[in-house]
Amino acid sequence: MSNETAAATAAPAPPAPAAEPIPHGLGASLPSAESRAKTEGTFPYAADLWAEGLLWAAVLRAPHPHARILSIDTTHAREMPGVRAVVTHEDVPADARYGRGRADRPVFASEVVRHHGEPIAAVAADHPDTARMAAAAVIVEYEVLDPVTDPEQAFEAEPLHPDGNLIRHIPLRHGDPEAAGEVVVEGLYRIGRQDPAPIGAEAGLAVPRPDGGVELYTASTDPHTDRDTAAACYGLPPEQVKIVVTGVPGATADREDQGFQLPLGLLALKTGCPVKITATREESFLGHAHRHPTLLRYRHHADAEGRLVKVEAQILLDAGAYADQSSEALAAAVSFACGPYVVPNAFIEGWAVRTNNPPSGHVRGEGAMQVCAAYEAQMDKLAKKLGVDPAELRLRNVMATGDVLPTGQTVTCPAPVAELLQAVRDFPLPPLPKDTPEDEWLLPGGPEGAGDPGAVRRGVGYGLGMVHMLGAEGADEVSTATVKVQDGVATVLCAAVETGQGFATLARQIVQETLGIDEVHVAAVDTDQPPAGPSGHGRHTWVSGGAVERAAKMVRAQLLQPLAHQFGMSTELLQITDGKITSYDGVLSTTVTEALDGKELWATAQCRPHPTEPLDAQGQGDAFVGLAFCAIRAVVDVDIELGSVRVVELALAQDVGRVLNPAQLAARIEAGVTQGVGAALTENLRTARGVIRHPDLTGYALPTALDVPDIRIVKLVEERDVVAPFGAKAASAVPVVTSPAAVASAVRAATGRPVNRLPIRPQAAVVTDPR
Amino acid sequence: MGSGKGQPVLTTHAPQAAQAVTLPASLDEAVAALAAMPAAVPVAGGTDLMTAVNSGQLRPSALVGLGRISEIRGWQYQDGHALLGAGLTHARMGRPDFAALIPALAAAARAAGPPQIRNAGTLGGNIASAAPTGDALPVLAALEATLVIAGPGGARREIPVSHLLAGVDMLRGGELIGYVRVPLLHAPQVFLKATGRTGPGRATASVALVLDPARRGVRCAVGAIAPMPLRPLDAEQWVASLIDWDNNRALVPEALHAFGEYVAAACIPDPVPAEDGSVPPLPPAVLHLRRTVAALARRALGRALS
Repeated sequence: MSNETAAATAAPAPPAPAAEPIPHGLGASLPSAESRAKTEGTFPYAADLWAEGLLWAAVLRAPHPHARILSIDTTHAREMPGVRAVVTHEDVPADARYGRGRADRPVFASEVVRHHGEPIAAVAADHPDTARMAAAAVIVEYEVLDPVTDPEQAFEAEPLHPDGNLIRHIPLRHGDPEAAGEVVVEGLYRIGRQDPAPIGAEAGLAVPRPDGGVELYTASTDPHTDRDTAAACYGLPPEQVKIVVTGVPGATADREDQGFQLPLGLLALKTGCPVKITATREESFLGHAHRHPTLLRYRHHADAEGRLVKVEAQILLDAGAYADQSSEALAAAVSFACGPYVVPNAFIEGWAVRTNNPPSGHVRGEGAMQVCAAYEAQMDKLAKKLGVDPAELRLRNVMATGDVLPTGQTVTCPAPVAELLQAVRDFPLPPLPKDTPEDEWLLPGGPEGAGDPGAVRRGVGYGLGMVHMLGAEGADEVSTATVKVQDGVATVLCAAVETGQGFATLARQIVQETLGIDEVHVAAVDTDQPPAGPSGHGRHTWVSGGAVERAAKMVRAQLLQPLAHQFGMSTELLQITDGKITSYDGVLSTTVTEALDGKELWATAQCRPHPTEPLDAQGQGDAFVGLAFCAIRAVVDVDIELGSVRVVELALAQDVGRVLNPAQLAARIEAGVTQGVGAALTENLRTARGVIRHPDLTGYALPTALDVPDIRIVKLVEERDVVAPFGAKAASAVPVVTSPAAVASAVRAATGRPVNRLPIRPQAAVVTDPR
Repeated sequence: MGSGKGQPVLTTHAPQAAQAVTLPASLDEAVAALAAMPAAVPVAGGTDLMTAVNSGQLRPSALVGLGRISEIRGWQYQDGHALLGAGLTHARMGRPDFAALIPALAAAARAAGPPQIRNAGTLGGNIASAAPTGDALPVLAALEATLVIAGPGGARREIPVSHLLAGVDMLRGGELIGYVRVPLLHAPQVFLKATGRTGPGRATASVALVLDPARRGVRCAVGAIAPMPLRPLDAEQWVASLIDWDNNRALVPEALHAFGEYVAAACIPDPVPAEDGSVPPLPPAVLHLRRTVAALARRALGRALS
C-alpha cells in the first residue's frame, strides 16, 4: 500500500543515521518505545503471563440466546480430577450487577439467559483442557424461550429484563415542525453488526493477595472502572482489588470483556492460587461488545437550490441484551443525525432497545458511524433528484464555526468542513486502468479472482463525517498525571492506558517539549495510580496529555525557580534545550543535571475540561466538549455482474487541530479508514435467531492488505482548538465514521443502485440491466 | 504469543501421554505405520487438521507425518497423463512450470488462500478434507482425475475423484491418497472463483472449465455451491457441439451467455412448481448465486475459447 502524506505532514522519518538528531518534542515523528519489541514478538501481552503454580480457567457460556435456567448442577464438574473450583451466580453477592453505562448485567446468568454466550459458570483446573472439559460437564437445564431478535419487536415484546426493553428514547425537537421543502427524499437504511475483532483475544491472570484481595493482570482500557466493578462483584472494598494493565493487543472498543475478568478474580479468591485464562477466538466473538446494528428512516427536505430545510429521522439501535454504553451511542446518533450540515429544522426520534442479540457497546465512532452512512446516502439522493453534483450539493450545506447543531449547541471549535471537502474534491483522481497495463490492474475479486475488465465500472463518492471528543452529557472528564525528574531522566506516571493510540509516545513528547529532557520513560499502569478515565473519544490526548503538560510545567518551575531567583529574572526568560538551561540573552548557561544537584523533582497535576450538560427532554443541550470533522472521497471499482467491490483509493482531509506526531497520526488515520472499509464491505457478525454464526476470522472477514485501498492524506487542517491542550483533536474515530459512507456513495455512483445497507452485499452492487 | 522464557514445564493431573509422531520416508512405510496404529491420523500440510486440533475438536493419539515422503511431493509423466504426488503444495502447483501443464489446477492453487496456507496445504489434503470450498476439487472434477490409493502390502487401486467426493467409494482403514492421475490435454483451461473480498477468501462459487480437443469435449465443474463439485453434463455437450473444433473455436457472445445460463440453471434449478402450477421465486441470495455461477461459466468459456 502506498501512503502519501501531503505537505501538511512530514513523511514518516526514515531510520535516522547516527549523525542526525533523534526526533523529539511535539510535532516530531517520535517512534513508539514499544514498537521494536512488538515487531520482534518479545513484547509481553496478558496471554504471555505466568505465575508459579497457576491454574487455568474456562467459562461456560449459554448456547441459547434466550432461556430460563431451571437448574445448574456442578457436581460432576467438581468431581473431575484436576478441577479446583467451580463458581456460579451463587458465589457472587446477590445484588452484584455491572455495566459501563448502567449496572444491569449479572456476572453469571442465574435465572434467565439473555444472549448467546452469556457466562453461566467458570472453572479453575490445573490444565486448560481439564478446565474446558469441566465447564462442559456442568449440567444446566434450560427452558428455551423465544428470542426477541428484531429490535422493532422489542417495544411490544415481554420485558427481557427487569429494567424493561427501552434503554433510552431521545425525541429531539429543533425548529419549526411545519417547515417543508420543495424537494423531499426518503430512505430506509440498515447498518450491520461490526465486531472490534482485536487481534489478540482476551486474556488475563488473577493473583490472590495475602490481605484477602486480588490482583488482576489484564489489558483493561479503563482500569479504575473495572476495578470498582470487580470489587463490588467480589464484595470487597476497592483497595483490595488492583488491576495491573498489561500490553494491549488491539483496542478499538472497550477492550476487556468483563465476563472474563470477573470470574477470573473469583476463582483466584476461591482457590487461593493464581488463575489464568486465554479466550479462544470464538469466545472472544461471543463475549465482547459489538457495534450497534441500526435501523434508520430518513426524510430530508430541501429548497430548489438544494439547501436543507428540514430533516426528519427515526433511529433504532439494537443494544443487545444489556445497556452497556447504548445511551451514549444513542446521544451521538441523535445529535449527529444531520451530519456536519446546517439544518434549521430537525426532528429526530432515537431509541436504544434491548433484544436477545449479542451485546452492543462502545466501538469507536459508535452512533456517529451509523447515521453518517444514512445522511450521506440522503445527500446523494438529494443531489440525484436535483441534478446537482454531489460534492457541490454538500458544499451548499456544510456547517462552519458559529453554526448551531440540532441539539441547540453552538459549534465553537474550528469546523473547517468546506475546506476539507474542497481539498478532497480537487485532489487529482487516480489514473484509469486504461492508462496502465492491464496485468497491473487489481480487479475487484483480487489478483486470482474472477474479475472481468469489461464488467467493471468505476465510481466516485463522498463522505463527510463528524464525531464528538471526550465523554458527553455531563460526564466528569478528569485525568491525573505525575512527572518525576531524577538524574536527568524524566518519568511519567499516568493511568491512561496505551492502547496503540500512541499516548505513551505523546506523553514522552510533551515532557521533552516542556522540560528539554530527551530521556523520558512512561511507567506501567495500575490502579494504585489516580484514575485517568477510559480510552476512547480522543480522551487521553486531551485530558491526560493536558495533565502531563501541567505536571511537566510545574516540574519546570521547580527546576528553574532557584536559578531565576539567583539571576534576578523570571523563569519564562530561561529555556531548556538538549539538557542545557540558557537565559534569553545567552549569558547564563548551565546543565539540567547541575541545576538538579542530585535532587528529585515531583509534580502532580490534573486536567478537567469545561463541563457539559445532558440532553433535555427535547434533545437540547450543550452535550459535547468538542467536535472533529473529516471528508473522504472514495474511488471504487465494481464488477457489476458479480457485485464484487474493490476500493481503489480513499482521499482524506481531516480537521486535526494540531499535528503532534505526523507518523503516528498518519498511522491512526490509516487504521481508522481500514476499519471503516471493513464495515463498508465485509464485516458483519451474522446471527440466526440470536445465535452467532461463524464466530471465527474465516466467517468474519476483516480487510486484508489487498482489501485496503491507497489511502491519500490530502490535507490535515491545523486550526487549533483553543480550549484543548495543544489545540489537538481526536484523530482515530472520525475516519471510521466517514469512510463507510464514502465507499457506499462511490458504489452508488458506479452502479446506480441505492446501496442502503452496510456492509454492502454483492447482490446490492449488481446491475442486472447494464446501461 | 507465548513468551516462554524460563517458564516451568506445564504440569497436568494426568501427564500427557507422549504423542506418537512417525515420519515415514516412503508411501509404503506410511501405510504400514497407519496399519500398526489404527488410531493414528495422517497429516500433510495440517492447514485443516491443526485448526481442528487447536479448537479441541480432534485429539489424535498419534500422527503419521507425510511431509518427508519425497516420492509424493513432485510429479511424473505417464502415457499422456501427469501423475501428481498428493504431497504437492499449492505453492508448488502455482508456479509457471506447473501452470504450463495443467493451467486450471495452477490457477486454483494460486487462489487457494494466503501464502502461508499455500506453502503448507497440499493437493492430497484438499481432496481428503473435501471441503465444499476446496479450490482444487472442481478442477479435478472437470479433468476427470483419478486417485491412486496406496493400501497395505504395496497394494494400489484407482478410483475416480468424483467417486471419493460423492462417497461412492471411500478410503478404507490404513489407506492413503498417493497420487492424482490427471490427463494432459494441451488446451486452454480456466479456473474462476468468486469471493467476498479482494484479499484471499473462501469461494462463494467457482467454475473450472477445460477443453479436450482430442475428444472434442468441453468439461465444466462448479464448486463451492454444493457439498461436492457439480458437473452440468448437458450444458457441456450442447456447447461442445457448437464449437468448430478444427478452425477458430470462438463462439458468438449470445452462445457464451446461453452456456452460462444453462450451467447456472443446471446447478441451481428453479424451485418445484406449487400445486397450482405457479413457480415460487428463488430467494434473493440464491438468485444472486445463480447469476454469479452464470457469469463465471460464461467468462470461463469465453476465456478458454479466446
